[in-house]
Amino acid sequence: MNGALLLAVGGLTAVGLYLVTGRSLSRIVLGYSLLGHATVVALIAAGGPAGRPPIAGQAEPEAMANPLPQALTLTAIVISFGLTLFLLALARRQRTITGDDLVEDDLEDRRIAAPDSLPGEQENQAAT
Amino acid sequence: MILGLLVLHVAVCVLLAAASRRLGRNGLLVGAVPPAVTAVWAATRLGDHQPESADVAWVPGLDLAMTFRVDAFVDIMTLIVSGIGFGVFVYAYGYFAPAAAGIGRFAATLLAFSTAMLGLVWADSVWSLFVFWELTSVTSFLLIGHKNTDKPAQVAARQALMITAGGGLVLLAGLLLVTRSAGTTLISEMTPVDGATATFGAVLVMVGAATKSAQVPFHPWLPSAMVAPTPVSAYLHSATMVKAGVVLVAVMGPALGGLPAWKACGLAFGVATVFWGAIGALRHRDAKLVLAWGTVSQLGMLITLFSVGTAKAALAAVTLLVAHALFKGALFLVVGEIDVRAGTRNIDELGGLARSMPIACTVAVLAGLSMAGAPPLLGFVAKEAAIKAALALEGPEAWIVGFGVIAGSVLTVAYTARFLVTVFGPGPETALAPRRHALSLPAAVLGLAGLVGYAVLGPLNGVLGPAAARLAGAAEVSDLHRWPGLTLDLGISAIVLALGASLGLVLSRRLGRVPVEYGARWTDASIEATMTFGRATSARLQHGSLPVYLVTMAGTAALAALPFLGYVSFDHVVAWDTPLQAVLAVAIIGAAVALSFVGTRLAAGLALGAAGIAVAAVFVVHGAADLALTQLLVEAAIVVGFVLAFGHLSRSFPRVGLRWRAVRMTVAGLGGAAVVVGLAAASRSPVAEPPLTEMAAASVDEGGGSNIVNVILTDIRALDTLGEVLVLATVALGVLALARASDRPEGSAS
Repeated sequence: MNGALLLAVGGLTAVGLYLVTGRSLSRIVLGYSLLGHATVVALIAAGGPAGRPPIAGQAEPEAMANPLPQALTLTAIVISFGLTLFLLALARRQRTITGDDLVEDDLEDRRIAAPDSLPGEQENQAAT
Repeated sequence: MILGLLVLHVAVCVLLAAASRRLGRNGLLVGAVPPAVTAVWAATRLGDHQPESADVAWVPGLDLAMTFRVDAFVDIMTLIVSGIGFGVFVYAYGYFAPAAAGIGRFAATLLAFSTAMLGLVWADSVWSLFVFWELTSVTSFLLIGHKNTDKPAQVAARQALMITAGGGLVLLAGLLLVTRSAGTTLISEMTPVDGATATFGAVLVMVGAATKSAQVPFHPWLPSAMVAPTPVSAYLHSATMVKAGVVLVAVMGPALGGLPAWKACGLAFGVATVFWGAIGALRHRDAKLVLAWGTVSQLGMLITLFSVGTAKAALAAVTLLVAHALFKGALFLVVGEIDVRAGTRNIDELGGLARSMPIACTVAVLAGLSMAGAPPLLGFVAKEAAIKAALALEGPEAWIVGFGVIAGSVLTVAYTARFLVTVFGPGPETALAPRRHALSLPAAVLGLAGLVGYAVLGPLNGVLGPAAARLAGAAEVSDLHRWPGLTLDLGISAIVLALGASLGLVLSRRLGRVPVEYGARWTDASIEATMTFGRATSARLQHGSLPVYLVTMAGTAALAALPFLGYVSFDHVVAWDTPLQAVLAVAIIGAAVALSFVGTRLAAGLALGAAGIAVAAVFVVHGAADLALTQLLVEAAIVVGFVLAFGHLSRSFPRVGLRWRAVRMTVAGLGGAAVVVGLAAASRSPVAEPPLTEMAAASVDEGGGSNIVNVILTDIRALDTLGEVLVLATVALGVLALARASDRPEGSAS
């Protein structure tokens, strides 16, 4: 395992988590992207040491990087790309409707849980 | 035949539910057909005692099957469930007005209950027993709450469901332990068990049975359930469903009867219930509640007798089971008729019914005498057998059971006398509505059955005897006697009747207040407290704030990585393959941190691009050229998208409270650390070297391409790649739809 990449994964995860727990949708998208980066770097780091591009004929097989994790990572990149785009579209839609990009509290949730009182108020005030 | 009958029940049930509106009250007559067929089948089986079984594989791998078995005892229960069921369907046809609300739904639910109850008594596998056990609880809930706009009915239905279904969960735990000790899940194959596990399991099973059969202190739901329409009270809450616990104690007797705890628990529940139920029956002024409390008392008697486990006690219990189903069914139906025709059930307001309702009065007197244990009725035989069984015991058990049976019988006679005198005896004449034959007929049949049973005791011995023998694990049991002769038992019986009758007559003159339901009040309070606690918990957890949800989840997930700390090893961790990786790692982290600090959305988008480009560079260094190329394209698209979506929201990110930011940072840091720990722990067990040479050769020879990554994607995992393309296409459609949606949502004021 590659120590430098390991730390990069940890840093990306930490910053990503910090951002997705925010209240602004644009920061959530950013955090989500960073978490995606963390995942693909982790996949690559776990797949073996660096090497020559795995193209038959251009490098000796022994010198190549492991191609299998690369194939998996490619899928991961594409899927997280799709999801990020969809998130962006949702965010844009919200902006058209509310003129803002803040994630509101789910009032339905609160109504189900506590028809009269609304506990958890402190955290929410702190969060906004 | 067993499965055929079940299918018939279910099919008619579905038909009733589907056509409930069109059928209306006639649905009750359609619903009477399956019980009638089943009752006839059970009646033909009564003489012949060959067990019959059937099973349906459910999950073969887990050894789960729906196994059913009928034998001498089950035949009797089947006849009770279906025979009385048939009568109750007919009775309900008279009970409800032709245009009563929800009558089709009622018919379907009643038949569903009948099906579940049959499944319960037929079940041989404990798992099928449990499933049908809970189904009877659910259908009982629906039937109690039939008047679903009525507040008392809702409360009573909820109370019954909480107690009986909760008891069902206790039963499940008990069955798990017992089947583990017994080594089989088939009740018919269980042999006597012992040991601590079995004892604990047996106590749980007994508690489950006690909740269903309304034993003290789980009894309050049964009197509360009397808000249900009378057909339901007669059928579920006297004749059948409340007997489920008794049946369970009976059929588990051969396996668990040897455990001292089983017997001790059963006797404690039973004897306490005999007295508390009888006292309740003496205090109440609502005729239906008098009967309900009487049922509680009789159920206590049944549990007592079945827990004793001797052949004589089992015979007495089976006889009482049959006699009780007949006389209590008849009495409930009579009270229902009085309720419908007189408009009240309060014994203070009823009077002179002996003259104005002669048939109902005759039926009630017959049934009442059977309940009191007077000759010449089946109840007399049952009580004689119970006294005889108690006298045959030895040691403290004899005193406990003897006291329960004899003193309990005195009280039973007393509340019966009070009931009959206050309802039918002299008093102000009650105005009555005209007679409905559908109401009188089933009651008359059940009332007369007690007399007939006494008359044909000879053949009846051939039915009840084998059932008791099967439950007591004995080869054969002694016969029941129509007339015991001048023995001690008869003397005791006479004293019981005399004492009880005088007590009842004295109490019937007293006009008391309606007693306070302490038990029901406590039960309601505890149910209310449970609900409040549940609501408080979900209010705490389900507060509606997405950030708090996410922080909770991320924190929990981070803590879950703690155990991996012990596995972390740096044997296989190298600092870097080339120093360039370290530089890029620093660049990535730097870009990410900058991204979280910059105040404007545009700058954040650019920082995101920087992080993405650094990741692409990592791919290049790693030898993953395709990845780098894809990453760059994707990153460009995302940055453009980000700017399009947020770019003109030019103001800064909203300010965040300091304390909350600290919490988020801590959790985020923990999450990052958890991922590092997890990966480092995973690196301790590296896999074998990848077969690079073979892959390179196969890529060219079989895949027809030299780029191995591409061959993997398009050849080896072609199907997955196709799925991926579908995902992207779906995303594209979604994005398009969202982008094209009109700027204002319909009907919104914002």
